[in-house]
Amino acid sequence: MKLTVKPLKQKDAGRGLAAIDRASMRELDLENGDYIVIDGSGESQAVARVWPGYPEDENRGIVRIDGRLRQEADVGIDDRVTIEPADVKPAKSVTVALPQNLRIRGDIGPLVRDKLSGQAVAEGQTVPFSLSFGPMASSGQSVPLKIASTSPSGTVVITDSTTIDISETPAEQVSAGGPAASAEGVPNVTYEDIGGLDDELEQVREMIELPMRHPELFQQLGIEPPKGVLLHGPPGTGKTLMAKAVANEIDAYFETISGPEIMSKYYGESEEQLREVFEEAEENAPAIIFIDELDSIAAKREDAGGDVERRVVAQLLSLMDGLEERGRVTVIAATNRVDDIDPALRRGGRFDREIEIGVPDKDGRKEILQVHTRGMPLEESIDLDHYAANTHGFVGADLESLARESAMNALRRIRPELDLEEDEIDADVLESLQVDESDVKEALKGIQPSAMREVFVEVPDITWNDVGGLEDTKERLRETIQWPLDYPEVFEQMDMEAAKGVMMFGPPGTGKTLLAKAVANEAESNFISIKGPELLNKYVGESEKGVREIFEKARSNAPTVIFFDEIDSIATERGRQQGDSGVGERVVSQLLTELDGLEELEDVVVIATTNRPDLIDRALLRPGRLDRHVHVPVPDEDGRKKIFEVHTRDKPLADAVDLEWLAGKTEGYVGADIEAVCREASMAASREFISSVDPEEMPDTIENVRISTDHFEHALKEVNASVTPETRERYEDIEEEFQQAEPAQEQDQLGRTFQ
Amino acid sequence: MTLDNIVHSEDALVRRYQYDDRTVLAVDLGPTTEPSVDVVDDTVIVVVDDDQYELDLPVDANDAHTFIKNGVLSIETEAAR
Repeated sequence: MKLTVKPLKQKDAGRGLAAIDRASMRELDLENGDYIVIDGSGESQAVARVWPGYPEDENRGIVRIDGRLRQEADVGIDDRVTIEPADVKPAKSVTVALPQNLRIRGDIGPLVRDKLSGQAVAEGQTVPFSLSFGPMASSGQSVPLKIASTSPSGTVVITDSTTIDISETPAEQVSAGGPAASAEGVPNVTYEDIGGLDDELEQVREMIELPMRHPELFQQLGIEPPKGVLLHGPPGTGKTLMAKAVANEIDAYFETISGPEIMSKYYGESEEQLREVFEEAEENAPAIIFIDELDSIAAKREDAGGDVERRVVAQLLSLMDGLEERGRVTVIAATNRVDDIDPALRRGGRFDREIEIGVPDKDGRKEILQVHTRGMPLEESIDLDHYAANTHGFVGADLESLARESAMNALRRIRPELDLEEDEIDADVLESLQVDESDVKEALKGIQPSAMREVFVEVPDITWNDVGGLEDTKERLRETIQWPLDYPEVFEQMDMEAAKGVMMFGPPGTGKTLLAKAVANEAESNFISIKGPELLNKYVGESEKGVREIFEKARSNAPTVIFFDEIDSIATERGRQQGDSGVGERVVSQLLTELDGLEELEDVVVIATTNRPDLIDRALLRPGRLDRHVHVPVPDEDGRKKIFEVHTRDKPLADAVDLEWLAGKTEGYVGADIEAVCREASMAASREFISSVDPEEMPDTIENVRISTDHFEHALKEVNASVTPETRERYEDIEEEFQQAEPAQEQDQLGRTFQ
Repeated sequence: MTLDNIVHSEDALVRRYQYDDRTVLAVDLGPTTEPSVDVVDDTVIVVVDDDQYELDLPVDANDAHTFIKNGVLSIETEAAR
């Protein structure tokens, strides 16, 4: 029976399963678990076990197999294959040959059996065998095992009762008429090795695979098949991998051009090398030419420094769309600086389609993690979902290094047991290797999302708990920042857009920055902190560019919190000063457009703090930009008590110290003052202790030191309130002013919400 | 013993597919030494090596069709609707 081949889902790959839709299963009289033979057009065939088909495939005549089986059967996606029930006997014994360079001591028979059990093998076949660790671990690749002989002969299935013998002769010398290893120059990547890029992959395949396999389709439609695809996106998102997978799956001739390589010092030779690559590809059509880092050889001609660069670009242009027909040669190019590519290349007929490969979302990250941990012995408790949710902004490459680092941590644990002097590693040790939760956690600490390296700050270790008082302020911040991330469905239902920004204002020392830190920590987002003045640059245009870049980074790593400390330094009212050639004004304008421009800010929240809200440009404060104004007030008595609680939480206080009394005595003190009071009091206590006790007795008596009311009284004399009644009044006036600008319905709103 | 335990203990692949007329639960246990399966009332009992797993069928599931072949355990129940 003929069925169409489709890829298996990433998580189901690697088990030798073939998902067949149920109608076809009935027709073939198959049951789940039956062995089938998959026969492509060529001579090779593969054996698989039947797995129930995906519900969406119902009645479509589809068989889904993973890349390994596809390679074994020598078929590609969308090919038609013949499926027949297979008669497979359980193997009594199988002899396998290991590659020569693999050095393992001891009996790896059981290990091989465990890994291979359930697989159907035939003599001469090469089976990828994932060791997960050991000498091949760094490459993340599997060891090719060769089946030297089987008993009984023919296709057999390895079960738990199969005896596995290791052949004396290494795999390289076992020659058999099995399917040859994949052709030279074609990378060994399958579609299942790509996680989280299903849509993009579909687009690429449509552009490349279809015209290569069925050029007649395009003839019938009277159009020219696409000539090129430009993949662009941040580094590490899988552009090169995708090109490799496509080349591998359609079994086309694959030619790589890496930019700098073709450059030559001789006149005209760089262009010639480019021509040669295209010629070679044409001779071997159908072919794919992959140009990695296209920006290095096809930069804008007007910007290109030398004559050579310009000529190379011109050569590429004419090769892509010259007078000569190129035939069935498709060009895939990858770049992460798409704006630097010569515009003439970015038109139809050259690179017909530009596909953006973005930073993966949560589901994508999970798929990628699944791909990279497929051959890894993970402990049961590891929940990939959890790590997928926790790795905002990570691209494929980061996740790969996360998986690798975790494995390295596991390796480090058993390092002491390893005898590196020995030639071979004990099989028992190999078997005992397992990656556990702490390995992954440890690895996660050391890896930052690569797109954010430049602006990344360690998320501060401050929770809401460390913020004393300010309950209202906290609640409003939580509403603005955490709710849209935590309850997107509510926002959708209410047809409401998340606030774009929050401005916190208040007298110095009231805890604005502390609140921002707590938000960054609790929101589980990426956090970018901008200190206003550092944006300014002496070159014209660079300061604005800085703002632009920050927002771009934030966008590509969403959800992100951008934190502007002391925003008054960069966002002063326009039209006031003339002294600085208008840099300040242009930065403000840039900020305005970034916050509420044509480009959407998705899941990016801006938090700004200032103690001079009256200086900030009005346009920045209107709804749609920094639309929430949160007054962080001078704490009242209750608030002060809470702040005292936070600061004295771990201090040894005398029982007589009454925090309420302290709160009452500190009218006009802000958070920072209270912290100073506590520090001063502890200092006074220490001073007394150190001057009165003999250093030798210190270790014994240190436990008895207490900070008493006297110490606090002393401290209160030292530290004065930093807020005078006038300042407070001024801020209250400002608050009033801002509150009016906001929708005036803060009160009595609760009761009506749930009607 | 719930299904999750089987999943973890056997490093198995478990998928539940919902078709129009029935639900299929497929478990790839890997071809171990002939696991066996039995249905007693509303409980599916799977014996793998020396371990036994029990799995409750949904209460309203009628006509559960359970079989195991080459390490693929299938439990088909008609959709109760």
